[in-house]
Order: sequence, then C-alpha cells, then structure tokens
Amino acid sequence: MNTPGFVEVLFSLALVAIAIGLTLWWKIPVQKDMSFGSVRAFVQLVAVGYVLKYIFELESIALIFLAILIMITVGAHTASGRAKKVRGTFVIAFAAIFTGSAITLAVLLLLNVITFEARYVIPLAGMIVANSMNATTLTINRITSDITSNRLAIETALSLGKNWRLATRTFQREAAIAGMISVLNFMKTVGIVALPGAMTGMILAGAEPVKAVLFQIIVAYMLLSVVTISTIVALELTVRKFFTSFHQLRLEGK
Amino acid sequence: MNETAAILEVKNLARDVPTKNGPKTIVNDISYNFEKGRIYNIMGPSGAGKSSFLRLINRLDEPTKGEVVFNGEKFDQCPACGLRRKIGYLFQTPYLFPGTVRDNLLYAKDKLTEEDIQRLVKQSRIPPGIIDDDVENLSIGEKQRVALARLLAMDPEVILLDEPTSALDPTYTKAIEELIKCIVKERSLTVIMVTHNPEQALRMGGQALLLVAGRLVETGTVDEVVKNPKTEVGRRYRDMELQ
Repeated sequence: MNTPGFVEVLFSLALVAIAIGLTLWWKIPVQKDMSFGSVRAFVQLVAVGYVLKYIFELESIALIFLAILIMITVGAHTASGRAKKVRGTFVIAFAAIFTGSAITLAVLLLLNVITFEARYVIPLAGMIVANSMNATTLTINRITSDITSNRLAIETALSLGKNWRLATRTFQREAAIAGMISVLNFMKTVGIVALPGAMTGMILAGAEPVKAVLFQIIVAYMLLSVVTISTIVALELTVRKFFTSFHQLRLEGK
Repeated sequence: MNETAAILEVKNLARDVPTKNGPKTIVNDISYNFEKGRIYNIMGPSGAGKSSFLRLINRLDEPTKGEVVFNGEKFDQCPACGLRRKIGYLFQTPYLFPGTVRDNLLYAKDKLTEEDIQRLVKQSRIPPGIIDDDVENLSIGEKQRVALARLLAMDPEVILLDEPTSALDPTYTKAIEELIKCIVKERSLTVIMVTHNPEQALRMGGQALLLVAGRLVETGTVDEVVKNPKTEVGRRYRDMELQ
C-alpha cells in the first residue's frame, strides 16, 4: 500500500460526501456537524502531525512532558464539560486523568516495556488520556445521578450509623462498572469482533502481525490500568463532594 | 444517671436554607430538654419545620446556630456515625435495602444472633414467617415494622419518628401506635415523633411541642397543648385542626 498523501486524503472525502448525502436523504439534521467535524478533524490532525514531527526530531524531555500535560488538561476540560454539574468537576477530572495516566506510563517506563522516546510515549499517552477521559466522564455522570436520585436510601444508611463510604457503596460499584464498561467490553472482544487501532496501524505500516499483536496486548493492559485508576479517583473525589465531614448528604452543594 | 434527667438538650437551635430570595429560616431558635423514657409529639401545620427539627437532632443536617447535647456531650464533639446509632431515625416513607427482612436487620447490626433477630421480630410484631422473604413483597405496614425493627437492632436510646403512620391505613396506624408505646415501656426509650394529627398525639400521650413557622410556640402535656393552648397561635392551630 502507498503511504497516503494529501491527494489520497482528498479522495477519501468521498466517504464524507456519502455520509452527508445519506443524512440529507433521511433528513437527519447533522450535515453541519459532519462538515464542520470533517474540516476540524483535518486541521487538528494535520497540525498535530507537524507538532509531533517537531517533537520527535527534538527529543526534548521537557517538551514530551509538556505535550502530555496539555493532553491531560484538554482531556480534563472536555470531561468536565460533559459531566453533570458538580462543583469543581475540572479539578476532579484532572486529578483522575493525571493519576491514572501518570501511574500507567510510569509502570510502562520503569519496567522497560517502552523506552522514553517521544515516538512511543506521546502516542501511548494519547490513547491513555482519551480512555481515561471517557471513563472519568461516565463515572462522574453515573455517581452524580445515582446519589441525587437515591437520597432516601443514602440517608437511611447514614441514619443507621453508616459512614458516607458505606452509605454509597452500592452506587459506587455501579458507577465504577459504568466507567470501566468500555474497556471491559474491549478486553472481551478484542481480536474477535474487531482488530484494534494500534494493531491495525502497525500492520498497515508493515509490521509483523505477531509483533503488532504483542504490542496490542500491552495496549489493552495499559488501558485496563488507566481506566481503573481514573475511575476510582473520579469516584472518590466526586462522592466526597456530596458529604460533609459529619457524614451529611448535601445535594445543594453539588 | 437520673431517670428524669435530660437525655437530649436542644439549645437555641436554628437552621437557614438558601432560597432564590435569600436565606430562609426553617428552624428558629428552639430550646428544649427531652427526658429519658418519655414520648414527645412534635406537632404543627405543614411547613412548620417539624421534620427539619428532627433531622437536626439526628445530625442529618447541620444547624446554622445553636447546639444539641446528648447525654451531656455536645453533638460536634461526638462522631456522627456513633451518635446516629444512639439516636435512631425512622423516615416517613420506610426505605428497605434490597434483600430479605433478615438482611435488613443485619444491615443495622451485623453481629445479631438468631436469638436477637427473633426477639426483634417478636417485639416489632413482624410475622415470623416472613423473615426470609424478599422485602419487595411486603405490604407498606410490614415494611414500616421492619424499618422499626432495624432501628431497634442498633439499641438506640432515643428514636426519632417522622410521621411513621402517614402512609398507613387507620388499622395499621393504630397497630403501629400501640407498638411504639409497647416498645417505649419495654426498652425505656425516648421517642420524639412528628405528627400533623393532634388526635394521634392524644392517642400517643406524653409531651407535646407545637411548632409554627419554625418557632416553638407551645409546650406541655399533649392534653394541655391540644386542648388548652396557652398562646393565641396555639389556639388558632387547635381551632383549625380540631374543627
């Protein structure tokens, strides 16, 4: 296969045209989003391509950390924008994404699974932050909704002398599963239902399938780790927002 | 401890809640001493602050000012969870955790023996045959009894009842009232019960506190407060409720 250039990208716009045509035919009002999204994806990705090229060439440690920090900040901003309105969601999302990403990347680097080179660390950090962001949003939304709609159950538990952690345990478990469900489903079906992106990319780039598979296994374990850590941090910080130090539920404080 | 000593002292208790038009006082400067082993009826019209007052005594809400002293110890010096086990709270609508009646009793105290469970079931007049039934299948009256038994499983010294019979029909209502009176005698408990119905307060007996617009306007025996109120506000409430 030829490495795609701008001409091939232009040709692939035919697929966008098909999608827009279909939505026009079915009168689904998403043409504006589709057109804008396609242009935005093009601009963002091309810009990122050039930025990555620059970073890869420089191999500066500071620049790698800066790139990861920007990813986490943008991820936290997006997660807090989509999450239900709990006070201080950005801080919660940032802490959840940062902790999950930092621990996962540190383990990969310390065990020498990957080397500290921009071409490994940055793409992996991108995958890590994106998955962490989704898990964080789902977790915050689910626990917020469960706590606000189960006031009687929670206050009954509190009135029976349980602390806030015990009083919300069932809801925390449900929210944790909600946050981790995509990675759990991914682990179950990987290689059977779909060939994941990283592996597909490596195979398309000419890597041996077995090597691509081994790399994909590392990616799967990495995602499992980051999503679990981020989910737990997001849960802990979100639930705490709803309780005073005297174990009183404060829905008005959300 | 002296049997007639105050088990619970409420001093200048007040709570404001935020509203669109600024803070609103829902409990306004209430002071009162509750004695051990007695029944107290908290009465008043809707919106008088009865349930809000009860929530402050269980420390489910924080007062804006004032304090509550339980057995000589200030609330803010006691761990909230331990305090709530001594001052049990029964909500207007009982919430039972998914599972069986037994699971619910064990939720309140996981070290209950089979003997304890049988005693609680008997004391709360729960039909023994339903102890391992799913709580989903119970009637509202049975649910209220299970919630009461669960409360008693903690061995509280004070129980707070927020209109415990409001969802029950007259037969169940009287049965629960009798049950509460029996439990008070058997366990020497202090009961603080919210009721909007003066006739229920008369049936329960004991002391009464009349709250209007968050203020404590009348105290005394139930007979005094319901039949011979000392204040104009108390007389208006009596005339309205006992028409």
